[in-house]
Amino acid sequence: MYTFCLNPSYCKGCGICIEVCPKSAIKSSGRIDAKGHELPEEQDMTRCTGCKLCEIVCPDFAIAIASEESTEEVPNEEK
Amino acid sequence: MSTSAHPMLKYLKTQAPTGPRLPLILCPGCGAGQVLNYTLHAVDRILEEDNWPKEHFVFISGVGCSSRLTSHYLQFDSGWTLHGRSLAIATGALLANPRLKIIVFTGDGDAAAIGGNHFIHACRRNLNMTIICINNGLYGMTGGQVAPTTELGETTPTTPHGNVEDPFDLCRLAETAGAPYVARWTTAHPRQAIKTITKGIRKNGTAFIEILSQCPVHKKTAPVELFRRLREITVSKKDTDAIAAGKIPLGEFCNLDKSDWIARYQQIIENARSPEAD
Repeated sequence: MYTFCLNPSYCKGCGICIEVCPKSAIKSSGRIDAKGHELPEEQDMTRCTGCKLCEIVCPDFAIAIASEESTEEVPNEEK
Repeated sequence: MSTSAHPMLKYLKTQAPTGPRLPLILCPGCGAGQVLNYTLHAVDRILEEDNWPKEHFVFISGVGCSSRLTSHYLQFDSGWTLHGRSLAIATGALLANPRLKIIVFTGDGDAAAIGGNHFIHACRRNLNMTIICINNGLYGMTGGQVAPTTELGETTPTTPHGNVEDPFDLCRLAETAGAPYVARWTTAHPRQAIKTITKGIRKNGTAFIEILSQCPVHKKTAPVELFRRLREITVSKKDTDAIAAGKIPLGEFCNLDKSDWIARYQQIIENARSPEAD
């Protein structure tokens, strides 16, 4: 089981992650945020195979796919 | 929701003294951010497998949208230099320290137009560097004007009735100029692009990698639409019928074994030092 982690302050809502997902595990949320971007959200993460294509194609480094086994957190803040 | 962050953020400066540096300055859906992501994946793989020190990586860029990717964001040594002169400065850095692994980010306008001569001669000299050209087919930063790589018939602010010029094929140019490793992919081919960039960085000599990219703002089209179009207009280099019909070939165009500039110069130094030479 994988978790779709989105950083909403980095995401600009381009939708490329939704386009590349081979299993349609994520979808557009349909809501416009304060900056005018339509962010993605998870649709059915049980379909996710952990290919991490969404993470690789993200132009804004906003997505992380975390697997249940490895939940160690990558520090977001630069020391 | 879990708070895991993107694995490549470890190579980026997320915080500056003045406040947060990310999100990237680039427009939504810009291909330059994707190319940075692919390059960092390739660098990450090399750091893991090849045991090269991180200090040996240097990123150099010129001016343009693609060139915003280096010193402002990367936690590697990097230089944000003059328009079109990124390769000249990369040459200087390499001659000063031949151990460096130099990665140059350049745009199509930066490499093919204003820096055309530097580009040809960097390929001819076979300097040990990786040139990643993010080709979006226009001058994005200045308003989407026609570039040497704009497709025939395309309308831009400076060609309102359609472009009458044939576009530059940068891969063929690099190959003819003497670069031993030349490849082309698009932002819509992430795994292939990462593999090619990894190979390019490991290659001893000039590696020229062209990544076709999208500019959703100046093409006035949704990023996803342009992403699909990149897949449609390109084919594998083996599909000669489709290439004859006007599709853009993708893949590795050449991978030759040639001694590079530094190796040849090192030979001269060794010859001069040997006891036979007075």
